[in-house]
Amino acid sequence: MTTSTSAPVTAPSKTAVAARTRGLRKEYGSTVAVDRVDLELPEGAVLGMLGPNGSGKTTTIRMLLGLVRPTQGEIELLGRPLPEGAEQSLPHVGALVEGPGFHPFLSGRENLVRCAAFEPLLPRKEIKQAVEDAIERVGLAQAAHRRYRGYSLGMKQRLGLAAALLVPRKLVVLDEPTNGLDPAGTREIRKIIADLHAAGSTVLVSSHLLSEVEATCTHVAVLHRGTVVAQGELTELLQAGGSALQVITPDVEAALSALRQAKISARPLGEGLRVELAGTSAPQVIETLVQGGARVFEATRWKTGLEELFARLTEAEEAERGMSAVDTLDGGRR
Amino acid sequence: MITRQFGSEVRWMLRRPRTLIGLFGLILVPIIISFGIWTASDEGEGGGGPPGLGAILQGNGMVVPIFTLFLSLNLLLPLVASIWAADGLAGEAQHGTLRGLLVAPVSRVRLLFVKLFGLTAMSLFAVTLMAVVGIIAGTAFLGTDGMMTLSGTTLSTAEGLLRIGLFILLVTFQMVAIGAVALAVSSTTEHPLVVQAATMTTIIVFQVLGQFSSLDWLHPFLITTGFPGLIDVMRDPIPLGQIGDSTLLAGCYLLIGTGLAAIRLVTKDS
Repeated sequence: MTTSTSAPVTAPSKTAVAARTRGLRKEYGSTVAVDRVDLELPEGAVLGMLGPNGSGKTTTIRMLLGLVRPTQGEIELLGRPLPEGAEQSLPHVGALVEGPGFHPFLSGRENLVRCAAFEPLLPRKEIKQAVEDAIERVGLAQAAHRRYRGYSLGMKQRLGLAAALLVPRKLVVLDEPTNGLDPAGTREIRKIIADLHAAGSTVLVSSHLLSEVEATCTHVAVLHRGTVVAQGELTELLQAGGSALQVITPDVEAALSALRQAKISARPLGEGLRVELAGTSAPQVIETLVQGGARVFEATRWKTGLEELFARLTEAEEAERGMSAVDTLDGGRR
Repeated sequence: MITRQFGSEVRWMLRRPRTLIGLFGLILVPIIISFGIWTASDEGEGGGGPPGLGAILQGNGMVVPIFTLFLSLNLLLPLVASIWAADGLAGEAQHGTLRGLLVAPVSRVRLLFVKLFGLTAMSLFAVTLMAVVGIIAGTAFLGTDGMMTLSGTTLSTAEGLLRIGLFILLVTFQMVAIGAVALAVSSTTEHPLVVQAATMTTIIVFQVLGQFSSLDWLHPFLITTGFPGLIDVMRDPIPLGQIGDSTLLAGCYLLIGTGLAAIRLVTKDS
């Protein structure tokens, strides 16, 4: 595909969105679960939704699926607004939300048959085959005849995944899919996500397991305290978040004052400094250091993983809040 | 599509262990009644039932199904209806399966109709089952010489079966009306027991309130007030006044229950 036509580059980004939310807000009584969430889920992406417990991941997902009505804001799912377009868009969406939900007195297979009976896109004749395929796909063939009551946590999770994959989906939403799975099961989930991605489906995975997201996702959205604090392509985010330089120098004092004059933020770390590259670049930093009379022995680009990015995004705000809390306390004393 | 959903719903209800146990319990009622009257009449006590209906039971097995349903309508059948209504929405919410249905998607109004259909089909099934077992047990224990009515006339077997059929429909309708109100309660909670407790408490409180003549003005609004009048199917010819009133009242409960459930379900977060 080439962009030789005069069509602007922004056009595809406008249409090729599997789901989008604008100014989403949900209040439960007096608590605000989610606020000002503008989420964009590009078509064909595997979006990892990260956030600490209680950051609003599940609430956002439930609103995306039309299970919960937003107090404010708009949702567009597969090109149709929710909840009006739910009957057109939801059949193409498979979901595993808030843990698998099944009837304990039915076997795994019977549970799936019941789910299948309510799938609008599944003709009656194909139900049986679809159920068997889904069971096979999640590796549950051995246990499909057993009652759900006796399933282990991992088996329940697999069955939930099977229900989400009963029909070929345009969008698959998985809320904490690896909960309760052993390492082998986790790998299988990764493979299933990779397969879905390869087949062109869009996947939304929420997780608090960072390695999980780093291994499977193309895009990331970080939620914190009910709002999106960062989103975008994983590689871009990591680059943006990881722009720091580790400088080994014996002249820490000189280096710090030189950088301060150049308005570059840095702090002492180990045998040298850690210099933030926001608004500057590595050569510029080294030039400043050398001109300021600091001997540079070594300068390494700081490689950030998702873990550090996540910690920075969620904890920085925590620190700010902490400070403002102190401020207000002082204010109150006066 | 909707027939497939109806089918799935009924199959799901029939697969529940508690449904099977409940149905088994229900068919015991006519058997016990037949047996009880048979032993009582052997001892020459003249039947244990209330005067009127009980008196015509002897040698009149065809009345057993009517008597059974009439008796069960006060407590047992509302209980069964409330259990089904409780499992239908609150139970599904509790197991997390309601989410699955809504995401499938089943529109919320349609889901309510699927549940209402399941409730109706199962109520009809349970009531018919009780009646059939009642006919068999009644004729086996008490024999049949046609069906003697409360008016003293005797109906042919065919006409008797027709009366039983009519009574089945009337009782089922009362049961569905109670179930619809229970569904409205069921849409507000994820604890099935709350639904059963609320429904049964209401039924019992209604029956107690029905005892106070100082509350005469209230009685026309209580669904339980309509129960005794249904026995008019056993008169010859059938006076339609009380039966009509009872059915109309149940219809109001059905509409109000369904309406409230729909309003709640459409705005519900799950």
